[in-house]
Amino acid sequence: MTSERAQNPSSNEVSQTGFPGEQQSLRLRGVSSGASDQNYPQFNWRSTSEEEEEEEDEDEDENCEETREIRSRPMHMALKRAVRQVQEMQVPVVSSGKSWKWRHAKSLRKLKNNSREFLYFFVLWRKSLQKIGGNFGGGVQSYFLFLRFLVVLNFFSFLLIAGFVLIPSIVFRSVGSSTGYSGFVGSQCMKYDPNPQGLIVFYKYFLDLLSGTGFMEYSYLFYGFYNNTMVESGNFSYNIPLAYLGTAAFYFAFCLICMIARMGSAFRVTVATGGSTVGNYSMMVFTGWDYSCLGDQATKLKQKNINYQLQVDLEEQRLKRRAAELTLGQKVLLYSLRVLMGVLSLALIFAAFYGIALATDFSQQKSGQEGILGLIFEYLPSIAITAGNFVVPLLCDQIALVEKYPPSNTVIVALLRSVFLRLMSLGILLYTLWSQITCEGDTDSAACKLCYYNHGDYPCWETRVGQEMYKLTLFDFLIHFAVLILVEFPRRMVVDNSSSKLAQWVGRQEFVVPSNVLVLVYGQTVVWAGALFCPLLPLINTVKFVFLFYFKKITLFYNCRPALKTFRSTKSNFFFLLVLLLGWGLALVVMIYSLSEIHPSFGCGPFRLFSSMWSVFPASFYSLPQTSQEFLFFIGSQAFLTPLFVLFIVGMCYFIALASVYGKSVALLREQQKREVRDKQFLVKQIEELKKLHPPIDNAAVYES
Amino acid sequence: MGNKQTIFTTQQLDAYQDCTYFTRKEILRLFYRYRDLAPQLVPLDYTSHPDVKLPYELIGSMPELKDNPFRQRIAEVFSEDGEGNMTLDDFLDMFSVLSEMAPRDLKAYYAFKIYDFNNDDFICKSDLEKTLNKLTRNELTEDEVRMVCEKVIDEADLDNDGRLSLEDFQHMIVRAPDFLSTFHIRI
Repeated sequence: MTSERAQNPSSNEVSQTGFPGEQQSLRLRGVSSGASDQNYPQFNWRSTSEEEEEEEDEDEDENCEETREIRSRPMHMALKRAVRQVQEMQVPVVSSGKSWKWRHAKSLRKLKNNSREFLYFFVLWRKSLQKIGGNFGGGVQSYFLFLRFLVVLNFFSFLLIAGFVLIPSIVFRSVGSSTGYSGFVGSQCMKYDPNPQGLIVFYKYFLDLLSGTGFMEYSYLFYGFYNNTMVESGNFSYNIPLAYLGTAAFYFAFCLICMIARMGSAFRVTVATGGSTVGNYSMMVFTGWDYSCLGDQATKLKQKNINYQLQVDLEEQRLKRRAAELTLGQKVLLYSLRVLMGVLSLALIFAAFYGIALATDFSQQKSGQEGILGLIFEYLPSIAITAGNFVVPLLCDQIALVEKYPPSNTVIVALLRSVFLRLMSLGILLYTLWSQITCEGDTDSAACKLCYYNHGDYPCWETRVGQEMYKLTLFDFLIHFAVLILVEFPRRMVVDNSSSKLAQWVGRQEFVVPSNVLVLVYGQTVVWAGALFCPLLPLINTVKFVFLFYFKKITLFYNCRPALKTFRSTKSNFFFLLVLLLGWGLALVVMIYSLSEIHPSFGCGPFRLFSSMWSVFPASFYSLPQTSQEFLFFIGSQAFLTPLFVLFIVGMCYFIALASVYGKSVALLREQQKREVRDKQFLVKQIEELKKLHPPIDNAAVYES
Repeated sequence: MGNKQTIFTTQQLDAYQDCTYFTRKEILRLFYRYRDLAPQLVPLDYTSHPDVKLPYELIGSMPELKDNPFRQRIAEVFSEDGEGNMTLDDFLDMFSVLSEMAPRDLKAYYAFKIYDFNNDDFICKSDLEKTLNKLTRNELTEDEVRMVCEKVIDEADLDNDGRLSLEDFQHMIVRAPDFLSTFHIRI
C-alpha cells in the first residue's frame, strides 16, 4: 500500500491509489462532491484526470469546492501540492466572469484566515484550558469551558447595563437633574432613610460591606439609589425608568440568545448521533483514546480509565442478564424499595426547603440587629441553603446505594435530585421574601393596606431583595475560598504525609464535575434573579467567577486526583446548558412577577411614581409620535397578528415535515446499505456455485484461446 | 502582516495554506517546532526544497506524542516511507489532520489506517486485540479482551466478514459524538 503511494509523488495522474479497497470503490465512485455539507463532507473520489476534462464544463462554484477540498483529501502533501499545481494551471481557461467569482471566494477565505489569526489573541485562558484538558480529560475541561462562557456572558451583560443605566445615572446625578416628586399618597409610604445616623464604629464599615447595608445601601449597587429622572432637553431625551426596564428585558433576551446559540451546536451533535447506546464498545475502543492527553501520569490514568470503563460495561451486561433472570417476587421487592427510597429522598429535600423557609423568616424578623450576631442573622438564609445543598446530596448518595439502579442511571438520578434541590431552594427563599413583603399577597391586611406592600419593615423592598441576592453571591464566594483553604489543602497534606489506613481510605479529593457545574448554575441564577434589583451584580459575578476559575485551577492541580469515572463531555455540555436554561426560566418568572404584580416602592428607585414597574412602557408609549403609535397598534392588532400566526404555524409544519422526511430517508439509506451487503453475499455465493458447476468448460475455453 | 520571513517563498506558504488547515502563522510555528527537534539537520531556508527527513525517534520524543501509545502507528501512517521518518510535509500533514478543523471523514480515514496494524486495509481481530492492549496497557485478561473484540466486531461489522472495512469504520464513526474531540492533538 505504502509503496504504491511513494511511486509517483508528483505525477499528474493522481488516481485513487491513496484509497484502499479498489473493489469496494464502485459504490463510492458515484458519490459527487458538489456543495459538500460541512458536517459530513463526502470525499471527492473522482480522479483529477476526470476533473481536467470536466474543468471547462464546471461552474465556478466547483472551482472553489475543489480548492477547498484539496486539504480534505487523504493524500500525502506532495500529491496534494501536485493536484493544486494542476488546478492553478487550469485557472486561465476559466472565463473572466467566473474567475472574478473565484478570486472573490479566495479573498474571502483569506479574510477568514486573517480574522482567525487575529481572534487567536482574544481567547481567554487558552493555555490553561489546554493544560487542564491534557491532564484531566475532556469532562473536567468542559467545566472550565462552561465557567469561561459564564464569565464572558456576565462581562458583556455588565457592559450593557453600564452603558444604558449606570453611566446615564452618574451623568444625570452629577449634573443635578431634578427628580419629579408628587406626594399624592401619604408621606408615610415615602419615608426612606438609608443613610446611617450618628457616629459609626469603624468595623461597621466592614460589616456593611458584607451585608450590603449602611453606606452600601444607598449607592449605585442597589435599586434604591437610581432616580426616576426623565431628561428632555432639546433634541435629547432620556428616560431612566424606561432605560432601566428595557435594559433588564434586553439583558434577559441577550442571555437567552447566547445560551440557545451554544446549545444549538451541542444539540446538533446529540441529534446527529441518534443518542443510541448501540456501538458502545466499538466507540469506546476507537474513540476512547484522547490524543491530546499529555504527560506520563495522564496517559497512565487514561488507560486505567478505559480499563475501568470496559470493566464497568462488562459488569453492567452481567447485571442486566442477572436482572432479567429475577423472579417476579424479587422484582416487586426491588421496585417497591425504589419507590420507598424515592419518597424518602423527596422528604429529605422538602425538609431542607422547610429549614430554609424558617431561616429566612427568622432572619427577616431579626434584621437590624447590630454587630457580629446581626451579621450571622443576615446570612442565615445563605447558610441554610449552603448547608442543605451539602448535606442532602450526601444522604441521597447513601440512599442511591440501596436503590441499586444501573450505574449510568444512578448518575442521572443523583443529578436530577441535585438540580431540583438547588433551584428550588432559591425559589423557596424568594417565596418567603415575597410573602413577607406583600403580606402573602393579601393587600388588605393591616401592614400592607396603605402602600400595597409592607412599608413598615420594607421601606424600599427592591433594595432588600437586591441585598439578599448580593449576600447569597458573596457568601457563595467566601465559602469557596474557605473550603479551599480550610478543607482541601489540609486534606491533601494529611493524605500525602500520613500513612494511616484512614487517610489512605479517604484519599485525595476527586474533582466531581456535575456538582461543581450545579454550583455555577446556582450562582448564575442568583445573579439573574437579582439583576433587576442590584444592577451591579453581573460585574460582581464576573469578578467572582474569574477568581473561581483560578481557585478551581489551583485546587485541581494541587489537591485533586483525576476521577476514575469519566464524564462524557459532549452529552453533558448540552445538559449543563439545559440546567442553566432552567435557572434562567426561574429568574424570568421572578422578574415578570415583580414587574407586574408588586407595587414599586414609593420612597426610592426609578419607578416610585408608577403603579407597577411595567406601566412605564404604556406611559412612554403614549408619548411617541402619532404615526409610530398607530403603526404599533396595527402590529398588535388582530388584522396583523392572525395572518402572522397562521404563517408561523405553516412554517412550523413545513419544518416538522422536512425533519421527518430526513429521518425517514436516513433510515431507508441504512436499510439499503444492509440490503446491499446481503446482495453482495448472495452474488458471491452464486459465483461460487457457478464455478463449481462449470469448471471443466472454463478450463477448456482458456486452453483453446 | 509583513512577509519578513525567509524560510518559505510566498508560493510555498500559499500551497501549504491550501493543503492544510493551518494559517500562515501556524505553519511557521509548526516549522519552528519541527526544527527544534533537530536544529542541526533542518535548515532555515526551505525555498530550495531540501530533502530533510527526521528519524522516528525524534518525532516520537515530542511532548505531544511521547506518551501516546499509538505514536508509532501515527508516525508510520503519515510518513511517506511508512517507517515513521517524517519530512516537514509529513509533519504538517499529520498535525493538519489531527487539528480541530479537519473534517470527520478525513480523520476517520486516517484513524482507520492507524488502527490497521498489518496494513491490509481491514481491521481484523488481531488488529483489534493489539489496539485494545495498547489502550489498556495489557491489563485486561485474555477473556475480557476476547469478549470486547467480539462485541466490537458484532456491533460494527456490517458486511459480516468478521473484520472491519473502511466503510464499517466510517459508518460507526458517524454515530460517535466524541470522535472529533478525541482524535485531536493541540500544538
